[in-house]
Amino acid sequence: MNGTGIVGVLREVQIPLLAVLLVCGAAAKAAHTIGARSREAETGPTMIFPLRLRRTTAVGLCAAEFVLGFGMLLTAGRTGAGIPALVVRAATVLLFSTAVGALHVLRDRRPEAGCGCFGELSHAPVSLRTIARTAVLCVAALSSIGVPPLRMPGSAGQAGLALAFIAAEVAALVVLSPEAGEILTRMSHTDPCELREVPLARSFSVLEASAPWRRYRRHLVTARPVDVWREGCWRFMVFPGVLGSRRVEVVFAVYLAGRRAPVRVGMLDMATGVAEVWHAPAADSLQASKRVYEKANTKE
Amino acid sequence: MASTTANWEGLTEYGTSAWYTRRALLRAAVFDTRDHRQWTQRPARAAAVLTGVITEMRGDTMVLDGRHGTESVTVSPTTVTWLGARAAPSVLRPGDPVIVKHRPSGGNSSAPRLAERIWARIGRVTGTIVAADGREILVDGGRHDRQPRRVVIATAAKRQIEVRFPRLAPGHLVDVIGTRHSDYLLAVLPATAQPPYHAGHSPVRPLVRGPVPVPVSGSAVWHEPDDEPDDLLGLGYPALDPESGDRSADGGAGCARLPYLSLGSAVRVRNECADRGAVLPVTSDGAMARQFCDRCVRCGTSPKGRVADLTMAAFAELGGNLEDGCFNATLGFP
Repeated sequence: MNGTGIVGVLREVQIPLLAVLLVCGAAAKAAHTIGARSREAETGPTMIFPLRLRRTTAVGLCAAEFVLGFGMLLTAGRTGAGIPALVVRAATVLLFSTAVGALHVLRDRRPEAGCGCFGELSHAPVSLRTIARTAVLCVAALSSIGVPPLRMPGSAGQAGLALAFIAAEVAALVVLSPEAGEILTRMSHTDPCELREVPLARSFSVLEASAPWRRYRRHLVTARPVDVWREGCWRFMVFPGVLGSRRVEVVFAVYLAGRRAPVRVGMLDMATGVAEVWHAPAADSLQASKRVYEKANTKE
Repeated sequence: MASTTANWEGLTEYGTSAWYTRRALLRAAVFDTRDHRQWTQRPARAAAVLTGVITEMRGDTMVLDGRHGTESVTVSPTTVTWLGARAAPSVLRPGDPVIVKHRPSGGNSSAPRLAERIWARIGRVTGTIVAADGREILVDGGRHDRQPRRVVIATAAKRQIEVRFPRLAPGHLVDVIGTRHSDYLLAVLPATAQPPYHAGHSPVRPLVRGPVPVPVSGSAVWHEPDDEPDDLLGLGYPALDPESGDRSADGGAGCARLPYLSLGSAVRVRNECADRGAVLPVTSDGAMARQFCDRCVRCGTSPKGRVADLTMAAFAELGGNLEDGCFNATLGFP
């Protein structure tokens, strides 16, 4: 294959690539718009427009990307060859060149705003990377003008070359896309335990499988806790109980992370009419408990 | 100052402040926390704030009828008075509900208190617009057991409020400060700028790696007492444990990443603008604080998100100016 043939393959692969990117971008924008129930999105080039025009602009941009994306696909073959293909590809060039300018203005006027190119994934402030990516897509759209109708590759070598070009260009776009890092972060992220919603049933399961529960269960007079509350990574459950002749309250603290989450236990002696705390040490032995807390006053 | 606990017989009524105080004691039974006192010793009453209704204006003395009886406050020419705007103390009338920031009396309750600031009839409505008709809007404050509040925008403030809240239409959020009247709030100030999203659709929260950085910074706002005592020192917390049943399902996830707590948990709130702090109990669900991802710019620019929705008394006690709407705050946890 000569140089002209290689360039021809490079120009041909731009059409499906651009089509996929346009449709994905439009879908992400639409999802974000529906999710926020507001087309006056807080990211993207629409922010440089007056408030009353943002809704119209955001809808128009989303629709234009859908139309151009599907238009690229429909006019890629013989069916839409000629003027329709030229119009769609020229309009795509116009869209991306306008976007380069709009992002530049957005970066100047609203440096904290994201580009909104892929909806909520694009909340990072517009950077030179983002502008460079749009410029690359503009050049890609420009190179697609005049490409003859697409056909199946004539040889294995030509197919391999097309795939190599697609892989290289996708890799370059990923490098230029802040959204890629965002996607990877979201896929690998788990909240720290203090920010995680943990069902009460799971805490009960952990408690009932713990050694402190097995040890102190016989002292409890109810099966359900009289009080449950949470502080960060710990959930506390309080059960009334009787230890010897003393009325006590047994409080279990269940850690909310990990498969074998630690469970700690403490005891409050209420027989004397005032609250006295009896510590159950980590060794988890009632016999080892000692009175360490001062006698609390009742005065406010 | 409240003691670390109360008589056991007084602790058995679920939902009382004594019940919540007992939680700190139970927590100390599990963890050998040496610092449990600083988290349980919360001020029962504000040291520098009085609330009540004016019963008499006698020369330079204002007599208030509050929850703890009659109190007198001295008003001087330096006292800053607010009644919809800065005004002279002479505009105050018997029957006006007021909140007074005064110089601490140093524990001597008989000593005259000198008022530094007086806010008369001040109120705030934060919520979702459910109906709008000209200058009148109905606002749902996020409480299902409460009727929507009626807000009338003052003619003189219409332009100022519309600049900050350009979409006074159903489904959008509003947060305004004004003067309380019999069945409506006369809005005179925007408390923030309107979020660009509909109610319940706040942006995706930032991801947090590792433990939550403590202290947490953000914006602290205030709310009207509603069914709480008007001198209550506490806060509405935006991250109540959903499993505890204390939290409204509305309001989205919230913008600030805060550790989950329950009603009664202790939080150290610090006003970075006034350099004042206190340990306060969580007394309500900060459902409306979850809706807003704004910043406070009273002293520098706070991180995004409301971290505390303080009671009026707590906000003033910590040195906040109610008409400002917010202060830059940091929260600490046990």
